[in-house]
Amino acid sequence: MSGFQPAPVSGGSPRPSSDKGVLSSLRATSMVQTKHSLPAEIIQLILPYLPIPTLINVARTSRRMREMVYDDALWIRRLSAMGRWDEGEARRRFEADMRRKLQAQRASLGIPPLSTPAGRGAGVGRGGPQPAASGTVETPPSQARDENPAAETIFDAAAEAQQKQPPTQRQSATHPSRSSKSSDGFEPAIPAPNGHANPSSTTQPPNTLDASLTIIRSLRSLRGGARHEYGRAYKALAPFYRDIVSSASHGDPSSFHVFQTFRDPEQQARMLAQLRVFARSDSAMGWEVREGRLDSMMGVFESAVLREFGNGVDVGDTEGRVRRYARVLVVLNGGASGVDLWLARNPVIAGKRGFGEPGECLMSLSTTHVVMAPAQEFFRRLVLGVNEQSKTIERVFPANVEVFVPFLERVCEDVVGEYVTTLFDQAHERSLEAYLSAVSATFDLVMQFANAIRPPNVPIQDRDERMAKAMAEVFEPHIDLYLQEELGFFRKKADAEVDAWEKRLKDEEASTESFYMSHFSRQAEKRDFLTSFRKVVMMPVQVVGSITAPMTAPFSNRPASISAAAPSGDMLHPSRASSPAPTDRSNSPRNPKAPTDELAAKAALLNTRLEGIKSLFSIEMALNLVHTAKTSLERTARFAQRPPPPSKSAPARIFHPILAARAQEAREQCEIIFVTLLQILGSRHIQSGFTTAITHLSAYNPRAAASHAGTDGAPTQPRVEPLVTFLELVNVGDLIQQMIDVFYVQELVGPKLVERDDFLSAAAKEKKRFEQMLDGQVASGLNQGIDVLMEEVEYMMATMQQVEEFCPAAGVVEVGRSETAGRVVEVVREHLEMLVGSTDRNVLEVFNQEVGVRLFGALCKHIKRQRVSVDGAVRLISDMNHYYSYIVTLKNKLLTEYFIALREVAQIFLISGKHAKEIATIIADPDRYQGIFRPEDVYEFAERRADWLMIKPNVERAMYGAGCVVM
Amino acid sequence: MSAVPKIQLTSSDGAVIEVDRPVAERSVLIKHLLEDLPEESTTEAIPVPNVNEAVLRKVLEWCEQHKKDPPPSNDEDSESRKKCTDIDEWDQKFMQVDQEMLFEIILAANYLDIKALLDVGCKTVANMIKGKTPEEIRKTFNIQNDFTPEEEDQIRRENEWAEDR
Repeated sequence: MSGFQPAPVSGGSPRPSSDKGVLSSLRATSMVQTKHSLPAEIIQLILPYLPIPTLINVARTSRRMREMVYDDALWIRRLSAMGRWDEGEARRRFEADMRRKLQAQRASLGIPPLSTPAGRGAGVGRGGPQPAASGTVETPPSQARDENPAAETIFDAAAEAQQKQPPTQRQSATHPSRSSKSSDGFEPAIPAPNGHANPSSTTQPPNTLDASLTIIRSLRSLRGGARHEYGRAYKALAPFYRDIVSSASHGDPSSFHVFQTFRDPEQQARMLAQLRVFARSDSAMGWEVREGRLDSMMGVFESAVLREFGNGVDVGDTEGRVRRYARVLVVLNGGASGVDLWLARNPVIAGKRGFGEPGECLMSLSTTHVVMAPAQEFFRRLVLGVNEQSKTIERVFPANVEVFVPFLERVCEDVVGEYVTTLFDQAHERSLEAYLSAVSATFDLVMQFANAIRPPNVPIQDRDERMAKAMAEVFEPHIDLYLQEELGFFRKKADAEVDAWEKRLKDEEASTESFYMSHFSRQAEKRDFLTSFRKVVMMPVQVVGSITAPMTAPFSNRPASISAAAPSGDMLHPSRASSPAPTDRSNSPRNPKAPTDELAAKAALLNTRLEGIKSLFSIEMALNLVHTAKTSLERTARFAQRPPPPSKSAPARIFHPILAARAQEAREQCEIIFVTLLQILGSRHIQSGFTTAITHLSAYNPRAAASHAGTDGAPTQPRVEPLVTFLELVNVGDLIQQMIDVFYVQELVGPKLVERDDFLSAAAKEKKRFEQMLDGQVASGLNQGIDVLMEEVEYMMATMQQVEEFCPAAGVVEVGRSETAGRVVEVVREHLEMLVGSTDRNVLEVFNQEVGVRLFGALCKHIKRQRVSVDGAVRLISDMNHYYSYIVTLKNKLLTEYFIALREVAQIFLISGKHAKEIATIIADPDRYQGIFRPEDVYEFAERRADWLMIKPNVERAMYGAGCVVM
Repeated sequence: MSAVPKIQLTSSDGAVIEVDRPVAERSVLIKHLLEDLPEESTTEAIPVPNVNEAVLRKVLEWCEQHKKDPPPSNDEDSESRKKCTDIDEWDQKFMQVDQEMLFEIILAANYLDIKALLDVGCKTVANMIKGKTPEEIRKTFNIQNDFTPEEEDQIRRENEWAEDR
């Protein structure tokens, strides 16, 4: 194929080897001799620029040219341009054909068929249609039927092409009268088919016409048959194509062949759509002009259809015109313009005002209040409207056209988005709080809206995702501002609350002292308060114990129900008449109503009774803060939801990557809110309260207090007021800490805002810090408390113990403990008991032990101050027994031993002075005191005997041995 | 602009033509050649053995005109060929030469690997034969009709679909 050369030169020779390359072929070309020739590769470049008729004329010039024009690649390219060439299909057809051929061959040669016939041989043709394949069309079959598989490939392709010839001729034969009067390009040679004089349209049987409407779809990918396939399309479409593209203006569309041959708009649209595809295969010069004309023609047609469609929409002829012309538009070009028009005139989008005004939500008088009912109504109506339109879409548009998602996107953007933005803006102007609650409540509503939508019952790929995106985009712009405002709002409010409280405290400081005293008499009430207090505390503790179960804790509701006037109170349970089955809410922690109320009542009770320590820190305020935090957190948490497991298909729609990214931010925000809560509550509030309490405690002077008490007229109450206050503080602090803990679990871990085990999270760290702070305060306070308690005990011992008690007048033997002992025990027990359950068990144990030891010390000192007669010893022993029996209840082994020893020591005093030897034995017996008292210590006790001076020599004699006596 | 390097080309009939190097590099062949040559030898004239002086000057004229064009894209698929379509005005005028010259320009463009010029040439040829009868085409390309009348009839029938009605 070296080119066009004068026939004598190389006409008969088979193709010269093409592997010599460009240079050699050029060199071989003697330019002087063959002036009017071009090499084959250049001819091949020219051919695609030729219109089809000219191309065929080129084929008719010589055999060489025919080979070139018949080249499959040339036609495959055109088919590909129309999107109608599928290499895979071609290969399948080819291979199937190969197998058939091979089997036929083997059968004819008597060879049994192979198990894998021609699998490899077929692979040879894989590289795509080879020009060589059709180049050997003329190869005689006998030659091809040899052993070489490659030759078979060539042969088969050629054979198939030959096989396809007869239908072509048959088809052509149906129109024998076709005249080739114009062989020239795309000349408009068609007489307008005016219904009577056009032979081509009248002679065409109706089924041929129908077939021409689907011609492009019927094209096959056939190796060696590409030219034939293209020819079929060309025959069917080219007349219409030429008709349209040859006319510069489209003044009267009805004069065109297309619109006369086909009266039905569906058919017209189908044909135009085919022409559009066909035009892509037109690569001859000037194709842009032709394409432009075709496009403008289609535009004319489309706008006419659109007009009808629009009219149909306007008069509501859904079943008739709308449906019909929607389908026409879809056939024509996918129906995008129809969808646009439909959306533009959609009553839901156009009539958005009808669903409700955002301002209605802000009609209430309160500035902090947002009434969500109108918004609910808005979304309810919107859901109805959308679902109705969804049904219409299902009826009007064919299943393969995606209308609903664009529709929903528009609804989200134009209707929901606008509504939401307006609402937020107005709410923001009104007040921050209104804004915050509006945002979160609206978010809920939109999510419900998303769930309530019923898209048409047609599966469309990633529709859910796009819908979710549309929803997400409604909120996307608001989230940043919202999160920021939420945190700011919380911080401000919490700060303000603490500030106000501190100010109030300052005002009240003057009266604090008397305030204490006035409460001094309400012991019973306080005790009662403490028990109920503990109950409240214990309850959530149990809940925390079973935290692995779904969070149905009643406690989570407590802060919310305490101040029922909270802004979010009324929107936690929005009544949703229209939205069916909000499944995502069913596991919310608001189910158990009854315990909540009980707790709320108790907490309220607590609040009123807690006034005693109001001046130090206020549980009420802590509850308020926690509640504020809870509100903020719950609002924020809506944005922080993690995508549910994929199994729950329905709610999955409402989650989208956009929101997922935001959710992370929101989660962080939640942690920050929590941390802020702890900081404000911890550092600012509790810590300062403890400091004040400890200061009070260390400044406590039993004598001064006693004088106060004396004036108060209630000196009989065995209580150390600052210590009581402090211990109550410990209790309250513990309550708050438990509250925080439950709150943490409930609000952060429960909704998966924070991983349970994530000890690195800011919230967990801050919580730890808070607890440490509290423990530290409690510890240092208890330290002070012990001192104070002991001072009090010592004071009581010093002031109350009468001399006569242990050393009564002769003959008066009083059995039973002294009043002092009873009071001391009572005081100690009183204070120790207040701590039970309110602080760490270890701390408590240490505290108890310390108190016990100090009490022991105090008692020793006390006894050593007394003078005990044998008669008084009975009382002393009673006292010691009393102490002992109390100490035993503490269940502290060490303490028990101490007090056993003390009891033993007391027996010294019981022994009559006549038995000095026994006294000495008892003093000197270290086993008796379990090593707690040395003999010297006991000796010191013995010195306190009333008759010591008299018996001393005897005792010492007995102690230091009989030898002394002898001496 | 005085810094623009010059190179020399020798045509098949011995003429030496000096030209700006960027202009000559419109030819991929020359471009690659220059890239492969050592720097100092670029002063020597490069032989272009297949192209005579007249054609070479004509080709270089085109290169001069199109030196600012973006470099040709490498993808050769049919779609991109279709995209570059109509011949611009200057090229049309440029191609108004006799047929012999036209073919030689095409061959030279092919040899020198100047894709855009080759395309323009092919389009010009396509325009030339558009709408011509087989006999006219034979004349244009100097083709000998080697069909028997039967063959000729068959090929006409085979392609009846392409005829205008």
